[in-house]
Amino acid sequence: MPSATVHAGEGDTENFGPLYNHTETACGHHLTMEATLRQIVAFGGGGFSMESGNPLLDDYVLKLTGAARPKVCFMPSASGDADHYIVRFYRAFPAERCEASHISLFRREQGPADLREHLLSQDLIYVGGGSVVSLLGVWRAHGIDLILREAWERGVVLCGLSAGSLCWFAEAVSGFHGAPQRVEGLGLLPFSNCVHYDEGSSRRRAYHDFLCAGMRSGYAAEDGAALHFTGTELSRVVASRPNARGYRLDVVGDRVVEMRIATAYLGGDRSVAPLMPLPEAMATEVAA
Amino acid sequence: MITRLLALGGHEFASRPSDRAVCELLLRLATTRAEGRPRICILPTAGGDTSEQTSRFYAAFSERPCEPSDLSLFRLGRRPMALREHLLSQDLIYVDGGSLVNLLAVWEAHELGEILGEAWRQGIVLAGQSAGAMCWFEAGITKSSGRPEPGDGLGLLSGSLCVHYNNEPERRAAYLDAVGNGMPSGYGLDDYAGLLWEGSGPPSALTARRGARAYRVTAGDSGVIESPLPARFLPAPAPAALREDIAEFRRVRRMRQGAGWLG
Repeated sequence: MPSATVHAGEGDTENFGPLYNHTETACGHHLTMEATLRQIVAFGGGGFSMESGNPLLDDYVLKLTGAARPKVCFMPSASGDADHYIVRFYRAFPAERCEASHISLFRREQGPADLREHLLSQDLIYVGGGSVVSLLGVWRAHGIDLILREAWERGVVLCGLSAGSLCWFAEAVSGFHGAPQRVEGLGLLPFSNCVHYDEGSSRRRAYHDFLCAGMRSGYAAEDGAALHFTGTELSRVVASRPNARGYRLDVVGDRVVEMRIATAYLGGDRSVAPLMPLPEAMATEVAA
Repeated sequence: MITRLLALGGHEFASRPSDRAVCELLLRLATTRAEGRPRICILPTAGGDTSEQTSRFYAAFSERPCEPSDLSLFRLGRRPMALREHLLSQDLIYVDGGSLVNLLAVWEAHELGEILGEAWRQGIVLAGQSAGAMCWFEAGITKSSGRPEPGDGLGLLSGSLCVHYNNEPERRAAYLDAVGNGMPSGYGLDDYAGLLWEGSGPPSALTARRGARAYRVTAGDSGVIESPLPARFLPAPAPAALREDIAEFRRVRRMRQGAGWLG
């Protein structure tokens, strides 16, 4: 088993390297760009699904749209369109903050009849967590995969956490159940991806193994960290928690090289609310 | 090995007499195969694995002589399960309704179709209602995208099926159209009507509600022919509370007879 080399990165300092140093202007910079800028923000975990009371990542993606009252569509497909998840989305995205909607692919008789028209009219499409394997299956069955690519090319900001992060990449490590699996995603971003990338997790070990076995290079993010891609380039890593980080992983020779990427913490206050489990895990359990 | 499959036009796991009759039939089918307590597993995939579906199922079966379980593909993160082992150890696999398109897409992603085919060939009873009934056929009429339209199934059984037949006239109309335009012939099932295949012969029709019928729907030279099938009526069992009263009454009667009080 080849061992991994981990570079410490820049730690907590404000030096984010030449690519990342423009912390103040980075966000505003995107606002002034043309509307056809393709943007994806892939959360390792976090946002309203996991960080009740910490809106930093959700605020970040709303601001990226550049709209005063952005149109946001939530896609809870990976959770089987769980009702409680949809309710939590609407609570976190109230009318004064944005114009919120959702698409339930399990209840098509309700909601917008023309999925393409609805999705292409959004400023932000927000994909929830759950099973990425089921998510991709359902999306392909309804042609959502093609619509999302079109939306991305037209400048609709795409974001999501967990399964909603993995789906945008060419390859992904799914740790949803049992041993981590290697899954093919939509491929908008030509990399691999691993979420909830925490020290000593089985996902982390599995990701390194997959990379050694030929998985393409890619990015990982811890809970609270988000990878912001412009086009297919990583433009910055932001975080809702002071210590959350993103990582770049490459295979050099027969070794995995894991590099911690300098991350911009989005909050001023360094004391943040604790992470909550993913919504899927919060579903009412029935006695089995 | 006899293969068994029960297709139901529509029902709920509720306490109405016709719903209890359907539960009783499922339990009886599972029991004919089981050596001990029958194992019954629900697959609520088509509805997105809602907790409402699973809790109604458990409410219907947890007090009965069987071992109910659920395989919720969207909830595996919380409760990992060996899919193949679990399914192949069942006596009856019940598929609940919802979106036929999503059901098949999620099953395909998890490679469940092959496992279910294997279960059926091993004699495990397959059953289901609505999308969970149409999924076993070559084709059905689904409202997965809003309007009723043809959709593919797994094709374990040849032909097609349309559920909620007279309960949703627009679905029946879409079915008659589709069969007229080349969809394989098949069956229409009202809510509370069912078809039971045992072995390779034609199915027997069942009904748990007066007036609920099963139809054979075939394309003929002069249009689509719809012929109602003679159906056996499924009587509703007594509700749980009454069952206990009856058991108590019988116990008392046996005691009295044993004691010779009744002569």
